[in-house]
Amino acid sequence: MPSVNVVNGKQIVVESIGPSQRLVRFVAKPFVQMWHHQDLIAAILRREMSERFKGSVAGWVWAVVAPLLAIAVYTFAFTTNLQLPLANSSMGPKIGYALFIFSGIVVFNFWSEMAFRAPMLLHEYTHFIKQTIFPSDMLAVISTLRATAYTLISVVVMLLFQLAATGALPWTVVLIPLIFIPFMAFLIGMSWFLSAIGAFTRDAGYLMINIVPLFMFATPVFYPHAALPAPFNFWIYANALTGYVEVMRDIVLTGVVPDMRVYAWTLVTSVFTFYFGYWFFDRYRNVIVDVI
Amino acid sequence: MSSSTSSDIVVRARNLGKAYQLYARRNDWLKQVMFGWWKSFFKPFWVLRDIDLEIHRGESIGILGRNGCGKSTLLQVICGMTLPSHGELRVTGRIAPVLALGSTFDLELSGRENVMIGGAVLGLKRSEVIRKFASISEFAGIGDYMDQPVKHYSMGMRTRLAFSICAHVEAEILVVDEALAVGDAAFQRKCLDWIDSFRKTGTLLFVSHSMAEVRRLCTRAIWIEEGRIREQGDPSTVIRNYHRALLVEKDDIHRFSASE
Repeated sequence: MPSVNVVNGKQIVVESIGPSQRLVRFVAKPFVQMWHHQDLIAAILRREMSERFKGSVAGWVWAVVAPLLAIAVYTFAFTTNLQLPLANSSMGPKIGYALFIFSGIVVFNFWSEMAFRAPMLLHEYTHFIKQTIFPSDMLAVISTLRATAYTLISVVVMLLFQLAATGALPWTVVLIPLIFIPFMAFLIGMSWFLSAIGAFTRDAGYLMINIVPLFMFATPVFYPHAALPAPFNFWIYANALTGYVEVMRDIVLTGVVPDMRVYAWTLVTSVFTFYFGYWFFDRYRNVIVDVI
Repeated sequence: MSSSTSSDIVVRARNLGKAYQLYARRNDWLKQVMFGWWKSFFKPFWVLRDIDLEIHRGESIGILGRNGCGKSTLLQVICGMTLPSHGELRVTGRIAPVLALGSTFDLELSGRENVMIGGAVLGLKRSEVIRKFASISEFAGIGDYMDQPVKHYSMGMRTRLAFSICAHVEAEILVVDEALAVGDAAFQRKCLDWIDSFRKTGTLLFVSHSMAEVRRLCTRAIWIEEGRIREQGDPSTVIRNYHRALLVEKDDIHRFSASE
């Protein structure tokens, strides 16, 4: 029978468990919650997806047209005699560089959509959080799932474009889930952290508006990281996004198995951000209800 | 836990208090987060104090009080939406916090979509909502409006739909922070009949400014003033005293000031 036990402002958990069990519970908790609230996640996700193109006649066509346009523009834009990376790729320099940029932008846009939205996320759902018992931690999951859907459309457009241009796709594209899933975990964790901060202060939102454009250049979206001078070559990995962009390019564009050190680094940032975000959100969950 | 722990007690509160943190300046909360261990940067605003309460299964409790006396906060604390600042609270049973369900409606969405989301928020499985949908829609009795956006609803229709969702949650404790029986006389009777049958198995807690409703529905009334229970007991006695107090005591303009 479900019950609430509260003594002196602290929720009391009756059973006492050892540290190893507590660790297992901590690791499992976000997933247990997601499983438990799956119907709620589906219901709100469905509404969010239909909301995006509400009132437009073409609707989902926009989700496909946008990435198509982007690829087309990049292809035409780089027809000048620039010293292009991947100049000797099999696709020819123009299309090669267009896809090079596009693959970076797909990953970057996925991140920036979440970074822009997360600080305001809980404010969007204030009426649910304040009026009902609402699992507010699931909002980060829902918004990441929504962004994933649009990102997948871009990825498919990119793959089709590449197929049309070269007539083949590298076998490594089957590895896409191996980078997508850690990236989603990274973004969910980031959203937990940012949305909790954003509940307290609107500054988080303004901060992201200023920071995100800078990251576009601090991340190797327009250039390969090897093009940087030696000292930066290492430090650019301090920006966690670099790893995801590079692994994505390796498996989609170049068709090689990514450098295992880079991949391991993305896994580390992913797992750390996911659990740090959840820990942070969980810690302030009860305060958030009162301040939002 | 010295006194009798009867299984019939669904809510037990002892010495419950809730303080909100009022900050003089916008950025003081940041100082509080960083230096809270050193000194506090807020004035506590006590919305609830010394609440001792026992609610038994099958009771129907009406909570009275002026605006801002802490009625809604008490319901929020009992639901577990916000933690009390001190005191003990024990709640047993599946609680459905229908604190103003109509206010969670998404105006752009149709009634049908809002039923799906509202049901999910109240913890129903998708299959359960689909199974109950016909019944919900029949109870609400808003016909073809079910597929129209809620923004085109009248206030009465909105409440009909909201009540109808609540009525299908199958909770053991129903907590409602709005007028229950609104709408035309026929719908009111339907609501009251439903509440009567609900009370055979469940416990009802609601806030109301309608004395007639409290008198009609409650087995006990609780009068809250400035965060404390001023009087509780037989509904008609409490209502009479409450009414008398409203006439005698003026509307205090300092009611919402923080205590030192």
